[in-house]
Order: sequence, then structure tokens, then C-alpha cells
Amino acid sequence: MLNYLIDIFLIAVSAALINNFVLHYFVGICPFVGVSRRIEMAFGMGCAVTFVISIAAFISWAITTFVLIPGAPLSQWIAGFFVSAEMAAKVDLTILSYIVYILAIASSVQFVEMYVRKFYPPLYKSFGVYLPLITTNCAILFACLTIMSNIVGVDDPSAAWDLGRSLVLAIFGGVGFTIAIVIMAGIREELDLCDVPEPFKGVAITLIVAGILALGFMGFTGVDSGLRKAITPAAESQAILEESQPPKIVAQWLGDRNIG
Amino acid sequence: MNAVTLGLSAGTLFAMAVVFSYILSWASRKFYVDVDPRVTAIMEVLPGANCGGCGFVGCSDYAEAIVGDGATVNKCPVGGSSCAAEVAGIMGVELKETLPFRPIIHCGAHTEDKLHRHAYIGEQTCAAANLVSGIQGCTYGCLGIGDCTRACNYDALHVVDGLATVDYDKCVGCGACAKVCPRNIITITPFKYQRVMAIACSNKDFGKAVKDVCNVGCIGCKACAKACSLFQIEDNLSSINYDLYCQDYSEDLRKAIEKCPQKKIILVGKPTAKHLEETKDMDVPELVEAEFRTTVDDQEWWG
Repeated sequence: MLNYLIDIFLIAVSAALINNFVLHYFVGICPFVGVSRRIEMAFGMGCAVTFVISIAAFISWAITTFVLIPGAPLSQWIAGFFVSAEMAAKVDLTILSYIVYILAIASSVQFVEMYVRKFYPPLYKSFGVYLPLITTNCAILFACLTIMSNIVGVDDPSAAWDLGRSLVLAIFGGVGFTIAIVIMAGIREELDLCDVPEPFKGVAITLIVAGILALGFMGFTGVDSGLRKAITPAAESQAILEESQPPKIVAQWLGDRNIG
Repeated sequence: MNAVTLGLSAGTLFAMAVVFSYILSWASRKFYVDVDPRVTAIMEVLPGANCGGCGFVGCSDYAEAIVGDGATVNKCPVGGSSCAAEVAGIMGVELKETLPFRPIIHCGAHTEDKLHRHAYIGEQTCAAANLVSGIQGCTYGCLGIGDCTRACNYDALHVVDGLATVDYDKCVGCGACAKVCPRNIITITPFKYQRVMAIACSNKDFGKAVKDVCNVGCIGCKACAKACSLFQIEDNLSSINYDLYCQDYSEDLRKAIEKCPQKKIILVGKPTAKHLEETKDMDVPELVEAEFRTTVDDQEWWG
């Protein structure tokens, strides 16, 4: 139980700060640059992304666990009608992951858009074109793929992520996105008042600021393993450090596949 | 990859499509937002260019402002009067006649009329030239370098013989020229008629000082004010009260034109046959019609 809580805590801190989606993995850059002009709008965008990312993570975790992975209950049960049990256990639908996640994300964005339009018209107005843009926000697909890589990619089936870990990753990934975009918006609001040299005005200085911000967040690197060492009870810590594998990061899993 | 995997893949996607479309169609009915039918109707009438010329963010914003906040229906500069009439029809309001606003250049001095002119070889913009003294005697009049020409997107303003001249056939009254003129001699004036009277001078000095620097400037002699009550003399400069300006004063105005010793009350705007007939045997200096042999070029090239 304690180990599970530690795991959850580390996933949360890692997603929000250390391996920040925007500033460490460089996904979700388009809204990060596009909607970071005013703090209120940036915060609204961050909330929308957090909301959508949670729904998408829930859906994609359920689909991955029950349909996609080899030996998933639902696909195994259906395949059982046609082939033998051993064959059915081998049915692997993970090739569908991308298209299924995109479908799930697009549908949940559409749902959120209708919901916001009905109940929060001012928010809907301020989002403008950016809410539909979340549909193609790579940060959300990235979260789904991270969850999948931690279900499919692990050798020990009992170590596969459950719904709790997946939701924590998604929610705190969204929180990290909100933190990054709000910091960016704050800097850009100040930047409006600054005397920026002519060639750097506009997009150039924005990208430079984003780069420096990412540089700052790189300073968190390694904090997660330190945290794990610090909060694990001393007697167990050595054993855990030897046993436990760090959460497989999606960058490893993806190899050179480009989802940007 | 066998038949089972293929079938299951197809089945998964099909099932997802069915489930999601069911949820979304339920949501679209549940979360349906009532849009005022008038907003939709106005949206169809508006040009949909989202140019922001009306002062709102876009066409949809303007349509909502008309219906919700009671914005006036004639603000769309692209759609013009026909669009305004249609929107007025949708909203059930009556459209009042709106006057076109056009610029008037309050200077009438061509190069030969401007005295004490010296060569200016600095940056060729009025804004820069205006900072330097001694380019021409008159510190109120047109510099003739043509900031207004460059500001005009409609090829309606040209410097003719040292004097900015409006082509009222092309002018749409956007007011860009008035904003850019460093000497503020261009006023955007409501044209009640195709052709209105205008004072072609901005010099506020006393008569003698005006005559020192210009052959044709207004000397503030008050002759026009005596002839017609529309004229006011302020700071040694005559001006016309356009709020009261109307046909009733035509006799007085004609008298004022005859009285003006400097012939600086001129008619500007599109000439109508009637007005030309009226003014044909009078000694009224006409604005020179510009001839445009070149196309508009916004670029400024520095060699």
C-alpha cells in the first residue's frame, strides 16, 4: 500500500514538474505558444487540456486494458467464439492504439466543446478556435501513449499501470501543462511592456523565452530518483532500488517514432 | 495477423464509432444551445470577412451585438448600405440616411503659391519634414510630400503640383489620410451633397503674416461671414458649420464665394450636373483633377 502511494506521488510529481509534458518532452507546443498571450486565457486552456486529458486517459486506459493488449478480457472472450483458447489469448490489437486514441480524444473534445458551450459561454468564446485544436493536441495523445507503454511494455503483468496511476499521470500531466502555459503567459504579459530589440520582436522572443523556460525545467532532472530514495523507508530502500525499474518513459518505447 | 485479429480490429473500431456517435448525438441534443434565429440570419447577410471594420472582433460578434446589445445596423463598411438595409430588415428597424464622410484638404496652395520654399533633402515623409523649420513659409499648409498618398489604400489621394488632392470618385472615406497628416489639415467631413463648400486654408495667422507666406491663404477678412451665417471666423481663419450646411443657404454661399478676396472658398466633391450648371459662370478656382498613370504602390524603396 505504501509503495503504491509512493508510486502515485512520484508519478504525479514527475508528470507535473520533472518530466513536464511541454518543457521536457516538447509536446503540446502549439497551444503553449498560441494561447499564452493572457494569463486568464492560458489558465482556461490549461484547465480544458487537464479535463480532456483525464477523460481521454480514462477511455484509453479502459480500451487498452480490456480490448487492446494481448490477453485482454474483452477481445479474448470474443475471439474465444472463433478460435481455441490459446490462440485467443495471443490476439494482439495494440496496432490499433493510435487510431483508437485519436478517436477517443476527438470524441471527448467534441463532448467538452458542447458542454462548455452550453454551460460556460464566456469560456467558450475566449477559447475560440483553440478548443477544437485540443483534438490534435499531441500532449493528450502523448499521455495516452505513455499509459499504453506502461501497460503493454512491462514484462510483469502485475506491474502494469492500473486506472489510478493512469489518471494521476493524466491529471498531473494536465496540471504541469497548466503550470507551464501560465508561467509562459505571465512572462509574455511582462514582455509586452519590454523594449525588445527589433529583430527579436514577436515570435522570435517568444520562442527564446520558451527555450529558457525549458532550460529552467531541465534543472528538475534526476529529482524523481532522489525523491524515491528519500521517501522510501531506509530498510526497504536498497531492495526497492534494486528491484524497481523506473517507469518506462514513452520516449524509450517510441524509439525514433515521431509523434510530434 | 490472422483473420481473427483483423475481424476484431474492425469490430473494435466499429463498436467505438457506434458508441461515440451515440454519446455525441445524445450530448448534442442535451447540450443544445438556442441561437437567436436573427443572429443566424444576420450572419448570412454579413460579408463574413471578419475584418473588424465594424469595431467588433468578427462578423459573428457583430451579429450578436446587433441582436443582444442593440448595436447599430450600419456599421459594416464592407457590406455598405445594401447590407445595412438587409440587416435593418431582419431587425425590423428603420435605416436613417447616413452621410458619407469624405476628407477635405484645408489647403489650396500649389507650389507656385507657397512662398519662402527651400529645398528639402531629408527623409521624404511629411512627418519628418514637419520637424524641420524653413521648408516653406507657411507652417500650416500642405507640405506636398505625400504621407497621405501612401496612407491611402484606394488610390484616391495624390499630390498634384505640390498639393494633396482628393479623387472623390475613388475615396471611400476611411480617414487614413487624416490620421497620418502631421499638419492636421485634412478633416473628415460629412458630405450632405455630392459637392460641398470648403475653406481651402488652415493658416491661423493674421492677414499680413498669411500674405507673407502664401499667395492664396485665408486672411480672416470676415467677408464670407458677413455674406452668410454659416461661416465662422476663429483665429483669423474662416470655417464652415457643416451641421447647418444645407440647400437653403445656397444664395448666401454664392455671395460669400464672390466676396472672398482670396477665392479660397472652393467646391469639393463629385460635381453634379446641377452644381456645375450653377457654378459655371462663376470665377471659382477648381481643384485640379489628378491624372493617374501609375498604379498604387505601397512600398517605399530606399536606394
